[in-house]
Amino acid sequence: MTSASVSLWGSRMAGTTRRSGSVLATLFGLLLLTFFIGRVMPLDPVLAIVGPDADASTYAQAYKELGLDKPLWTQFGSYLNDLLHGNFGKALLTGHPVIEDIARVFPATLELATLAIVFGVLAGLPLGVYAATHQGRAGDHIARLFTLFGYSTPIFWLGMMAFLVFYAWLGWAGGVGRIGLAYDGLIPTRTGLLLIDTALSGDWEAFRSALRHILLPAIILSFNSVAYISRMTRSFMLEQLSQEYIITARVKGLSQRRIVWGHAFRNIRVQLLTIVALAYGGLLEGAVLIETVFAWPGFGQYLTSSLLLGDMNAVMACVLLIGLIFVALNQISDALYKVFDPRTR
Amino acid sequence: MKLWPSRLRQLLCAALTATLLHTSPSMARGETPVDQLVVGMSMINLLSLDPAAATGLEVAEVNANVYDMLLEQDASAPDTLIPALAERWEVSADRMRITFHLRPGVTFHSGQPLTAQDVAWSLQRVVTLNRALASTWKAYGYTAQNVAQTMRAEGPLTFVLDLPRPTDPLLVLNTLATSPSAFIIDRHTALQHAQGEDQGAAWLTTHTAGSGAFKLDIWRANDVILMTRFDNYWRGPAKMRRVIMRNMTESQALRLMVERGDLDVARGMAATDIKALTRSPEVNVQTIARGTIYYVALSMEQPLFQDIRVRQAIRLLIDYQGINDVVMPHYGVANQRPLQLGLNARLDDPGYRLNVQEAKRLLAEAGHEKGFAITLRSLTDSPFINIATSLQSTLAQAGIRATIITGTGNQIYGAMRDRKFDILVGRGGGGAERHPHSSLRALVYNPDNREAAKLSNFQGWRTSFYSAELNQLIEQAEQERDASRQLALYQRIQNLYDQQVGAIMPISQMTDEVVVHADVRDYIGHSAATTRLHDVYKQR
Repeated sequence: MTSASVSLWGSRMAGTTRRSGSVLATLFGLLLLTFFIGRVMPLDPVLAIVGPDADASTYAQAYKELGLDKPLWTQFGSYLNDLLHGNFGKALLTGHPVIEDIARVFPATLELATLAIVFGVLAGLPLGVYAATHQGRAGDHIARLFTLFGYSTPIFWLGMMAFLVFYAWLGWAGGVGRIGLAYDGLIPTRTGLLLIDTALSGDWEAFRSALRHILLPAIILSFNSVAYISRMTRSFMLEQLSQEYIITARVKGLSQRRIVWGHAFRNIRVQLLTIVALAYGGLLEGAVLIETVFAWPGFGQYLTSSLLLGDMNAVMACVLLIGLIFVALNQISDALYKVFDPRTR
Repeated sequence: MKLWPSRLRQLLCAALTATLLHTSPSMARGETPVDQLVVGMSMINLLSLDPAAATGLEVAEVNANVYDMLLEQDASAPDTLIPALAERWEVSADRMRITFHLRPGVTFHSGQPLTAQDVAWSLQRVVTLNRALASTWKAYGYTAQNVAQTMRAEGPLTFVLDLPRPTDPLLVLNTLATSPSAFIIDRHTALQHAQGEDQGAAWLTTHTAGSGAFKLDIWRANDVILMTRFDNYWRGPAKMRRVIMRNMTESQALRLMVERGDLDVARGMAATDIKALTRSPEVNVQTIARGTIYYVALSMEQPLFQDIRVRQAIRLLIDYQGINDVVMPHYGVANQRPLQLGLNARLDDPGYRLNVQEAKRLLAEAGHEKGFAITLRSLTDSPFINIATSLQSTLAQAGIRATIITGTGNQIYGAMRDRKFDILVGRGGGGAERHPHSSLRALVYNPDNREAAKLSNFQGWRTSFYSAELNQLIEQAEQERDASRQLALYQRIQNLYDQQVGAIMPISQMTDEVVVHADVRDYIGHSAATTRLHDVYKQR
């Protein structure tokens, strides 16, 4: 090994160590903050368990069983210790280990958010490109109006209206939940993603039911992403389209399609990756309002219900997962940067 | 200028046309399977299925169909107790012992036969585990130390319940027929899953071991509960093959689904949605009277309220009529007594009305002619916040400046349990048992007012309202053997509570409205939330 390659290897190792350290410090900070905020919140998990009419001895027993009688730092220390041994504790809401709960609810949100981001990208990118290439014309104004609508419409209201029209009036969409009641409990869980599980089980009626149930919430959920992605795409494209190399391409007589997609769009791919990753991260955090309207048993509902109960085991694990999602998305977009932009290699 | 490939546009047009042709718009009604009952309700408070720990109305409705009790309240006539696992019972002459004779041939879902040992173990563990529902039994004097002697099997099908202190056996029977702690568990199955000394508690949190009309197949918290018919049920198999309960917290989604026929029963809908459905031919709205009371509570820790004239003034500053006419429809019915409606012992309402002039006079007499500033705690949900807003406005008319502090149930009742409030709009008061003592014990009785006593399960203690005379009368009435003398005592208690201006001022008695699809028959909502689905069927 030459000294140059040793030095390269050394610097890569140092970089990896630095990144890992930074990730660990971020996650630790996140846990610390969540733990102490959770403890100062005026929510009493004991009361959630024993009910408002329990007597003092029952209350005291539950208080002790939850370990709340110990000093805060001791509680945090023993939580970290459990965490290092892979024990995230039990959830008050379900009585199950938190990790099992998350393994159950997260795929529901992953499936919904992934479909939503696919819709978001499929609609948002072309819309943004169209608006940029038709700047100042009717199409641009309509696209901008649409993005404004996407940003400003409360998703809860939009979900209710869509439910009323497409479920109650037209009967196109499935009802609430992830699948028709007739199939509930009958599809073997393999991945937790119902579209895949129903397909793997070969039950195409169940697949159709799952698809009918997911399409409407996914489309509604994607609405905000469409607005965000199209707006950013438009802005990036406008910047590129005013560059000299575009003028040169036009002078050379290249077709509009080639200029837009082959040159301008090619140069904004890296920036768009960050935008899409951020939008996807936001959706994975849990779309609690849409999950509420469509009774979607996902991560957002789980986190919110746990938070309202003051169930800190569940809340901490969820926060940790959200942190990991953002770290993972950052890493993925960093890796994709290198694919799309040779200068970053 | 072409921006898009023409093939892409053709493809999109073809996909759109295919979608529109395929998904023909339909106004057809949804329809649940004829042999399955689909219930939509909120499951956010459904934290445990263990009869020793399961609080809340939702879990009572689940467990009532998975487990059985020794006896039941008749759903159509709540004052009547009917045999269930016990085919008959006797009360001893000294009223200190109840002997239950169990029905032979009853089996649990596991196939194990029911024995008196199961009954004794099920009730004992509620007290020895000391979880959420233990206070029900501790109030009768049961302790972890005495339950082995007082709750015991005498033979395979004879269960004996000794009362640790004198009380009305009818009250205890009512508790056995309504309390979610009185479900009988298959001891063998539960103990097979016990961890250490937990008597199966961890396992029973998420599983069931009952003898009820349905077996629990799946419970996914905050998602769905699936139950299937138990074919060997002692009353014969239920008419429905399967019951599906789905977590639905959004009222409008519940409304649309029940109207469309995709739900058979919808629980927990907002009043506005229920109102909109009352004339729909597709559904029936069933009003179920609960025993709990909506009230305005004053804390006697607040020196202002120690003056009876100030309490009288506040009592006159509640717009009972306005609140009951405008806010309470679909939530409750007017009740100004700390006793539930329909009981023989209950006197007619005292007829309090909003009377600002008289309230001002009383305040002036008490030296508060310019009023005072105070806090008013309320849950953020309807109807609590609406009652609080109304009260804030009427208090202001007499110069009392109330600042509303809102919070979740946990926060508001937490403050009440800690005796840290001034005025509070709340709901409570037992009342599941059809007996005057049930409400009086919860709302008025306060045997030890010391802070150190920590009797936070008594709402009387939470308000620091202490009346030795009322306490003594409540105890006396509970133990009185003669029915007419007992009736007179309960009436005297109500009059005295009025004279002493108790710190809990009842406004309305809770009702629960359940929306049932028109083709569902024999769904009778139970006042104690133990609605049994054994006889429910659909007529199409």
